[in-house]
Amino acid sequence: MIEFILNGKVVQTDDEPDTPLLWVVRDTFKLTGSKFGCGIAKCGACTMHIDGSAQQTCVLPITAVAGKTVTTIEGLGTPDNLHPLQQAWVEQGVPQCGYCQSGQIMSAASLLTDNPNPNEAQLEAAMERNICRCGCYPRIKQAILSVAEQGQSGAVQLATPVAAKAPEGIQS
Amino acid sequence: MSAIKLSRRGFLKATGLIGGGLLIGYVATPDGNSPAVIPGDGAMAPNAFIQLTQDNQIIFYSPRDEMGQGISMGLATLVAEELDVPVDKIQVEFASVHDDYRHPEYWVQGTGGSSSMRVHYLPLRQVAADTRALLLTAAAMDLGVAAESLSTEDGYILSNGTGHRYSDFIATAQTLELPSETPLKAKADFKYIGKDMTRIDALAKSTGTAIFGMDIAVPDMYYAMVSRSPVAGGTVNNLDDSAARAMSGVTDIVRIDSGVAVVATSFWKAKKAVAALNIIWDQPDLANFSNGDIRADYQSALESDRGTTETEGSITEGLSKASMQVRRDYWTPYLAHTPMEPVNAVVKISDGKAELWAGTQSPGVARGLVARHSGLSVDNITVNSLFSGGGFGRRAQLSHIAEATQVAVATNKTIKLVWTRENDLQNGWFRQASIMQLHAGIDAEGKVTAWDATRVGGDLAPDTLAGVLPGELPRTPKLLNDLMLSATENLYDGWLIDSGGVEGLVSDYDFPNKQLRHISVNHGLPLAAWRSVGHSFTAFAKETLMDELAEMAGLNSFEFRRRNLQNNPRLLGVLEAVEQGLKQWDIPAGHHIGISTHGSFQSFVAQAAEVSIQGSKIRVHRVLCAIDCGAVINPDIVRAQIEGGIMYGLTAALYGDIEIENGAVKQSNFHDYKILRINEAPAVDVLIVETEQAPSGVGEPGLPPIAPAVANAVYQATGQRLYSMPLTLA
Ligand code: FES
Ligand code: FES
Repeated sequence: MIEFILNGKVVQTDDEPDTPLLWVVRDTFKLTGSKFGCGIAKCGACTMHIDGSAQQTCVLPITAVAGKTVTTIEGLGTPDNLHPLQQAWVEQGVPQCGYCQSGQIMSAASLLTDNPNPNEAQLEAAMERNICRCGCYPRIKQAILSVAEQGQSGAVQLATPVAAKAPEGIQS
Repeated sequence: MSAIKLSRRGFLKATGLIGGGLLIGYVATPDGNSPAVIPGDGAMAPNAFIQLTQDNQIIFYSPRDEMGQGISMGLATLVAEELDVPVDKIQVEFASVHDDYRHPEYWVQGTGGSSSMRVHYLPLRQVAADTRALLLTAAAMDLGVAAESLSTEDGYILSNGTGHRYSDFIATAQTLELPSETPLKAKADFKYIGKDMTRIDALAKSTGTAIFGMDIAVPDMYYAMVSRSPVAGGTVNNLDDSAARAMSGVTDIVRIDSGVAVVATSFWKAKKAVAALNIIWDQPDLANFSNGDIRADYQSALESDRGTTETEGSITEGLSKASMQVRRDYWTPYLAHTPMEPVNAVVKISDGKAELWAGTQSPGVARGLVARHSGLSVDNITVNSLFSGGGFGRRAQLSHIAEATQVAVATNKTIKLVWTRENDLQNGWFRQASIMQLHAGIDAEGKVTAWDATRVGGDLAPDTLAGVLPGELPRTPKLLNDLMLSATENLYDGWLIDSGGVEGLVSDYDFPNKQLRHISVNHGLPLAAWRSVGHSFTAFAKETLMDELAEMAGLNSFEFRRRNLQNNPRLLGVLEAVEQGLKQWDIPAGHHIGISTHGSFQSFVAQAAEVSIQGSKIRVHRVLCAIDCGAVINPDIVRAQIEGGIMYGLTAALYGDIEIENGAVKQSNFHDYKILRINEAPAVDVLIVETEQAPSGVGEPGLPPIAPAVANAVYQATGQRLYSMPLTLA
């Protein structure tokens, strides 16, 4: 039995220990916003936040997140309560097929938490782990930079809304 | 760019775009004899595309599939315009399968060829305009006023200053006949067409709430994965599944047409077990070929006198008028589509009925495949179309739906069948490889006097037909299908030229004397239309040669093209738009510009690429693209499709190479099949040259010009002419 925090809730699973987090989240916990694109940590479609930082979860065995906090796109913001990046994504018409976008947004959110005012090179370095086969890159860039700008002006809060620390007593 | 802000209510509605009638109680019957949409209580569905519910909700059934190209938004905009309802108040559903949703020009209910807006622009506006006229007539009767005294606004009928909901008049409207040929709005009256508007699917796709085939889970569902022959067309000689059978969660292992399927209680368990299968394959002829052999076969075919030839004018005469001539050979490799979402399907069969969940470019064929492999009639099959995580031509090939159905039948279970990325790259369909030879002559004025083109490679049409026939004619025995297919193959070998292999190679320019020779050489690797199809490689040959000829003629690239575009004003228009646009650019030292221009899918495109060379690496910094795609429905979606087409084309220009080794594909995932990433992505400026013509293609035409534009810039930077893709510096 492995226990971790998923979008703020303590959850437990008896999935086999080598099962990648991606499949536990998608199939066991039925949160399908995080996607399967390659299965070898080369496309970023499966990106989630583990203790606040972006990681590709298709190769991350569930044992690696025991006692940790996991945030998925569903925990970042909802249609009624959008994260500033999601708002920018919608307003700037970023998604095409949309399949990569959860991963893109999770990588971008982690970037802005670590570095609220990235320059273009820093942005590219953080985002190059995410493939977009539809080629939305110019808009992804634009959307992140616009949110960073709003963050600088205090118009939006950039700190990722996570999911508190592990409650007392949870096993690491 | 500008974008309207959706109201919160609009947001919530927009998330409803999930397809398959999951939200609203309607039944889309699969039988061509019954209506496509059976309206809910108190609702009306005057045609296959529009339902107006009792509470004034308008539902639009999109006949074309959404793969990211924005067509559900585009078509909804047409309906919104003529119904006079804001787009974000329309609930868009993906249509089920019905004759009414067949593509007006293709035989099937499918999406492709950058054709959707072109073929639906007037017909969909017409049904919406007729529906609005019907409601106005009903309102006039109910309110006892003259129809001319009524007007509409945002989904309401206005009479003497009072607004009435459209739905208030359903009962009377139901008693009237739907008018036809209602006059359409004039362009000057457009409220939505031609405006930038936020895509209706943007919210769902930014919050992880859009539902793709990969996300479907139904009760009692099992996961299937298939081990297929590494060489396409191979069959199982010997199977040892003892290790796999013993693995946790594995419930069934069954043989199907394409190989051996493992069924398990989770994706992960199925994936591990499929790797534990031990299979010896009987290999087809393709196993005797590697990349070098294929290229050598093309080369010797090129040097032979084989082929089918079409001529206009006379090459001999054209060459006799030439003051200079040049002959070049070009190589373009096989490519994979790699849509971000690998193909997948959920099939449920129970009580003599079947249900399919999948995002495809061809739901009609999908339904037929379920019928063929389940033995059920199409009337008993429901297709739930979903968002596709990219199509690019790959989702017109639906073997995974046949596989899922076969596994469901063999195991008597509800099956979710998923392809891995490795399956996608190694067991799928590919863009044709080609050798092209161009021989051209120019005169002292810089006019092309002769253009002699040859293309050698595989034929696409027979494989396309092979994908369509079994699903479109589910009752025809396999033997008969196979006969039709081999007849088609023969047709293309020596009689007909497969347009998907040559389109664009002798087009666009004035070319008074031109010749096209095609030589079919097929090795058996399955081929599928790949974004922009033949144009994806013919533009490379044509436009790099035009650049070379310009230099020979001592003219700049714009001027030389202009002299040869006297009969193609729309292509000349975009070329000159790029020429003007470039004047605003500051080109940093060490950066070089290459241009190209190419028409495809009835649209006209010119591009300039700004390139620098860093070591042996080609870096593309900026692209300027002008497009004339006729009337524009949503400029922002046009820009997005051009940006995306350029990125897709750049992946092919810089990296794309599927290599065959003893018949098997060498590449297996994104580590060795490189895709352009954000740090390599150029900035893109799109100039829309709007004309009064009907709308034409947008999803594909942005792609073909990018590889030659980059190659031409590389020449400016290095003096090297590149004749092969991917572009590699010596
Ligand atoms: S699915 Fe995890 S990185 Fe591609
Ligand atoms: S939007 Fe389609 S892969 Fe990124």
